[in-house]
Amino acid sequence: METKSYLVDSATEFHKLPASTSININNVTVSFDTPKGEFIAVKDINLTIQKGEIVSLIGHSGCGKSTLMNTISGMVSPSKGQVIANNKIVTGPGPDRGIVFQNYSLLPWLSVYKNIYEAVDSVLSDKTQSEKRTIVEEHLKMVNLFEHKDKLPGQLSGGMKQRVAIARAFAINPSILLLDEPFGALDALTKASLHIELLKLWNLDNRNKTIVMVTHDIEEAIFLSDKVVVMNNGPAATIREIVDVNIERPRNKKDIVHVPEYMKTHDKLLGLLMDKFSIEDTH
Amino acid sequence: MKTTVKSLKWMLLKISPILYFLGSFFLLCLIWQVIHLQTKGDIPGPISTFKIFEELFVLEDPMYDNPEDPGYKGILIQLISSLGRVFLGFGLGSLVAIPLGLLMGSSKVGLNLINPIVQILRPVSPLAWFPLGMIAMKSAGGATIFMIFITCLWPTLINTAFGVSSIPQDHKNVGKAFGFSLWKYVTKIMLPYTLPHIFTGLRLSIGVAWLVIVAGEMLSGGLGIGFFVWDSYNAGSLERVLTAIIIIGLVGLFLDKAFNYVQKKVTFS
Repeated sequence: METKSYLVDSATEFHKLPASTSININNVTVSFDTPKGEFIAVKDINLTIQKGEIVSLIGHSGCGKSTLMNTISGMVSPSKGQVIANNKIVTGPGPDRGIVFQNYSLLPWLSVYKNIYEAVDSVLSDKTQSEKRTIVEEHLKMVNLFEHKDKLPGQLSGGMKQRVAIARAFAINPSILLLDEPFGALDALTKASLHIELLKLWNLDNRNKTIVMVTHDIEEAIFLSDKVVVMNNGPAATIREIVDVNIERPRNKKDIVHVPEYMKTHDKLLGLLMDKFSIEDTH
Repeated sequence: MKTTVKSLKWMLLKISPILYFLGSFFLLCLIWQVIHLQTKGDIPGPISTFKIFEELFVLEDPMYDNPEDPGYKGILIQLISSLGRVFLGFGLGSLVAIPLGLLMGSSKVGLNLINPIVQILRPVSPLAWFPLGMIAMKSAGGATIFMIFITCLWPTLINTAFGVSSIPQDHKNVGKAFGFSLWKYVTKIMLPYTLPHIFTGLRLSIGVAWLVIVAGEMLSGGLGIGFFVWDSYNAGSLERVLTAIIIIGLVGLFLDKAFNYVQKKVTFS
């Protein structure tokens, strides 16, 4: 079998991949066993993401975009094919890939500070306690939550919770950051300010982190990404098209909507995702 | 004027639990007195019973414990010995049930393997274990503790296992995504989430244990509040039996409230 020839950590096998490749999704199919039989979520996916790129996976609900992203995080194992992240075959979750969950996934019995600290303590276990504390405090300051550090997650608003989750993911300094509909539950204004905060954190790190984000918000996808991966509807979803976003960075939330390229990309994505645009359109 | 009415109302609201308690106590005494009159005094009434209360706690030394007079011990001595057995059995039972419940809840195999045993043994009256306790412990006191130990296993075991098996996937994902060690997972995710469930089990256990101790001590004899009930019955003093019933009830209430308080303290919110 072809997959056998790929050995984890085998440098010789990966020289085919350029050094700048961060994630390589190689012929991945994911299926689940259900009482009604086999359910194929995504089928024959091939996707290469370069180091430092921001890529959005977009599609309708249930199209398997989260499943695809979870194969990168290692939370889901592909039934066929493989995912290579940082030149290693993904076999499970690892500290090189930080995850921000849709529902924040903060531990409700730990303070904001502790929620980040426990993740840092777990991943950066070779650092001293004071080094770990400094990392946590720095990241709390980056997302402007330092004065809320002793609060429990239950005392925070949705936007604040997601900032804690983002700070937690950045604090372990992963080379790949995976965001699963991170702003889906937030209001438009909070969402916009978090987009800017996310880009700020990415810039602070010299745009070295690869970010993969699942979303169903076209504006969000264009504003943040270099590439937008449009998925077909599931089951057995495939990639419909990969749309490049050729808008210069740094991008400005207010001005971007007037950039011709923005409107072009927006129309293209909308065309790919919807087939009815007014009540007169019939199919 | 208005403010005094308002503050009076507020005060009434504040003390209303106490008023309700007194009211319900009065109602109980009323029903009791009616039964007393209906049975033409065969069952002692509240007044004569409260006299025995006074006798046991004030006129006699409730801590009376004379080795030269083994036939009679003060009421508090009896109560303390019962509580001692309950807490010893409860402690040992919890020590076994909590770790076993954590294991059972975290592994499907463990759950499926141990669950049938629990389901068969749980409905058995704890008193049925008394003879086995006698053989194992070679003493009536030991057998009572053994019986309480068995009693306290099931509620704690089941609730702990249920708590662990219901940890939300979100919380587990945090452990997975950030590579928590087993120790970190147990102390930062499993135990904090499960603690309220464990305490529900402990609270149920202590409640059943307090129920069972009375019957157990009637069987074992010698010392304890259950023995006191049986001894008083044999001595023909129904007043003493009724007094013991009230004491048992009040102690049970206190235990439940105390566990409830601790449970609230350890529950995150």
